[in-house]
Amino acid sequence: MNESKILLNSVPIDDYGQAIEKMGNSVSSRINATPENADHGLAKLVITLVELIRKLMEKQAIRRVEGGTLSDNEIERLGETLMKLEMKMDEMKKLFNLTDDDLNLNLGPLGDLM
Amino acid sequence: MEKLIYAIVQPLTDVYAINLLLSGIPGVSETNLYALFYNDIAVVVSDGVILNEFVKKEMAIDFARVIESLSQQLTLLPVRFDSLLPSDAEATRLLSQNYTAFRNNLDNVKNKFEFGLKVLWDYEKGIEKVKINMESANENTNNCITSSSIHANYLLKKIKENKLDNALRDYIEQLKKEFVHDIAIINPEYNFNKMITANLILDGVFLVDKSKKYEFIQAVGNFKKNHTELHFLLTGPWPPYSFVVCPMV
Repeated sequence: MNESKILLNSVPIDDYGQAIEKMGNSVSSRINATPENADHGLAKLVITLVELIRKLMEKQAIRRVEGGTLSDNEIERLGETLMKLEMKMDEMKKLFNLTDDDLNLNLGPLGDLM
Repeated sequence: MEKLIYAIVQPLTDVYAINLLLSGIPGVSETNLYALFYNDIAVVVSDGVILNEFVKKEMAIDFARVIESLSQQLTLLPVRFDSLLPSDAEATRLLSQNYTAFRNNLDNVKNKFEFGLKVLWDYEKGIEKVKINMESANENTNNCITSSSIHANYLLKKIKENKLDNALRDYIEQLKKEFVHDIAIINPEYNFNKMITANLILDGVFLVDKSKKYEFIQAVGNFKKNHTELHFLLTGPWPPYSFVVCPMV
């Protein structure tokens, strides 16, 4: 960036570097499917959508618990279900060599999916 | 020959004046810039160049330099780099078909600059501050789960993480509101991107009247003084890259 365009800067250079790097990752978080990596590209898309649904389920469950209408038994079952779902997702991520940062989609002006 | 499109502009008083201005600014790869007119607007173009992947970055910098130079003298709508049209006639048709939208956008950005503001924080320290403010909320959370089984504890952990996310979002919203309040007198148009990274908590662009440039910089400086725990990066003035909304026909 042209230095004359910087009007005020109190950002430690390391922090800015990290932020820019992450922004770069965000820009690259698009499905990059080619004939050679079609399986992987598709898996990333599917797992991202499954993760989105899992997180929505988790939010809904949290809302129900906070509502105070669930019995101890129901809370137990809900906790077990969510825990198993998260473990399953971790297995899937490992299987396709994906990290949490990979499980996102850049939706342009709308920002990231998650 | 294809034409590389740079910007839609509101011309100076006459054709001679704008051509004189354009003759002093080299286009991408030293091509000549010229303007094509329709009513009271014009499009700045040059002959198209072969966009070789190896020199594309340099060309993009050249392109930005052209936009920057033009914006010093003219009200303009920057066009995305790499926009090519088949001929002068097509470029003129672009103007005629989108005249109203271009005209409205030019009116909106007339005599205005764009500024970018990024606010960063030390995530670890910042999150501790947010956590302190939500201690009482956590007490309520502990009350809604009485069991101490592994599954109930897992759920409790998720609830606390969710509360922290919400508290963080509230903190950022509050920060935005405070800043918008502080710059209300300058009355800029603005847009905020949502939190992109853990460190970058505000990322905004502001369309500010040229006459209020120093007031805006001063307002950011004052806001910074009140938030010593945050780091600020203010850049500009830029051409109005983020404030052009033209659904093209």
